[in-house]
Amino acid sequence: MRLTTFEMETTMKRWLTIVSTALALIGAAAPARAVGPVLDWDPAYFWQPGATFNNMPAGGVMQCVGTVATFGPPLDFLNATMPGTEYTFYVNSLVSLGTTSFGPPATTIYTTFFSGGTIDVYADPTPDAVFAPNPPNAQVPSTFVDQPPPILSGHFTSLVVTTNNYTTFKTGSIEGNIEWTGGTLINFFSGPGGICPGLFTGGATWNTAPGVGIPGFLFRHDGKIDLQCPVPTKQSSWGKVKQLYR
Amino acid sequence: MRRLVTPLLLAACAVLAVPAARADSLLFDYVGFDYESPNPNPAAFGEVGSGYVGLGMVPSLFAPLVANTALNEYTMVISGLTSTNVMPVGSFDVVTYSSGTVTIYEDSKATGTPADFTPNPPNGTVPGSFSDGTAILVGTLTNFQYTFDATAGTGYFEAVFNATGGTQLGNFPLNQRQGWTFSGSTSNALNIPAGWSHQIDGQAFLNAPVATKHMSWGRLKEGFR
Repeated sequence: MRLTTFEMETTMKRWLTIVSTALALIGAAAPARAVGPVLDWDPAYFWQPGATFNNMPAGGVMQCVGTVATFGPPLDFLNATMPGTEYTFYVNSLVSLGTTSFGPPATTIYTTFFSGGTIDVYADPTPDAVFAPNPPNAQVPSTFVDQPPPILSGHFTSLVVTTNNYTTFKTGSIEGNIEWTGGTLINFFSGPGGICPGLFTGGATWNTAPGVGIPGFLFRHDGKIDLQCPVPTKQSSWGKVKQLYR
Repeated sequence: MRRLVTPLLLAACAVLAVPAARADSLLFDYVGFDYESPNPNPAAFGEVGSGYVGLGMVPSLFAPLVANTALNEYTMVISGLTSTNVMPVGSFDVVTYSSGTVTIYEDSKATGTPADFTPNPPNGTVPGSFSDGTAILVGTLTNFQYTFDATAGTGYFEAVFNATGGTQLGNFPLNQRQGWTFSGSTSNALNIPAGWSHQIDGQAFLNAPVATKHMSWGRLKEGFR
């Protein structure tokens, strides 16, 4: 019995639906099992001229310097506590899109999104990084970027600063996404779909107490970078996919 | 004589309690994940009646804590917190909790059990693999407040910290046992094990010590003549 054109089209569409669904299942990215951050720092400090915790004017440029405290897989062969090498990073060119506030006067939350932004991580055999007050100055950011080339380079695809007026200790968060583009160790971030992106995340405080804040810096950030690697997908032929449904 | 002793003691207390402009000091740094137990509504976070548990590794510890990270694993357990109020602010929820505790454990890497973020806690290894070993520091957490934006997947928490126990409590001067902790929080990380709520990364500070001032009895008496 021959199928009509309509029946053939229907059968074909069903096949396409089944195959598409199967491919989607095969290709779906599930969470990776690596638990630890690839890079953890304490501290990092942000600054933006003319900005306050609740007003980072649009067009202003945010920068950040930090010292790496620990490395995790796949960079766990690096030892951040060895006195001979200092691992530092520099974030630059984050452009504020302006601060938005919401909530009642006593419980107001402020969010500031940024565009652009780069990050470079350095290994310096002559440790000298110092969070000198009131950057930029002779030591900031220069003592954090004095040993090129960077071991990692990337740019931010998003970043948001969240602050408020109600926390006792003046605490919020800074979080963004990184696309890695270079650096001597970038190949360690290779995944099945290419270079794994990074998640830059952690708590922030604008507490100015001695020992916490530093004059001229806006935020102290305790954070880390996680690799956002999807689970590998498996290459398959159309024939093999069809066999699954026979 | 007794009449004189009482005001002198009160005066001495007043003199000793002079605050000074010294620095807060970083006590420890932690990174890990959190979950809720009990969890009356698994679809929500921070609902009234839910319990908050934060577990993590403590890679960095500072004086007056004494640590050997080469030989020991240090873990952190935040527990005993129960949500008492949720206040929506835009897409954020500001959750207030009852008092709880934070404990730092020291566990031998050679003979202890490695901490394991096993999925779907609590279970056979969570929180057990974090709370084994020696409790070197126990502290109360008060005014614990957690702000989280479920839409964006980001948030933070903070609390007042007060050192009250542990084998190293004696390292803490009597005038420097109070402090605070804060942490960032995210649900956007792909490495969050199933059944856990957020990734957390935070630290705890000790407040600047309360200064004392040396003074002779004679000078002290002069102040009351």
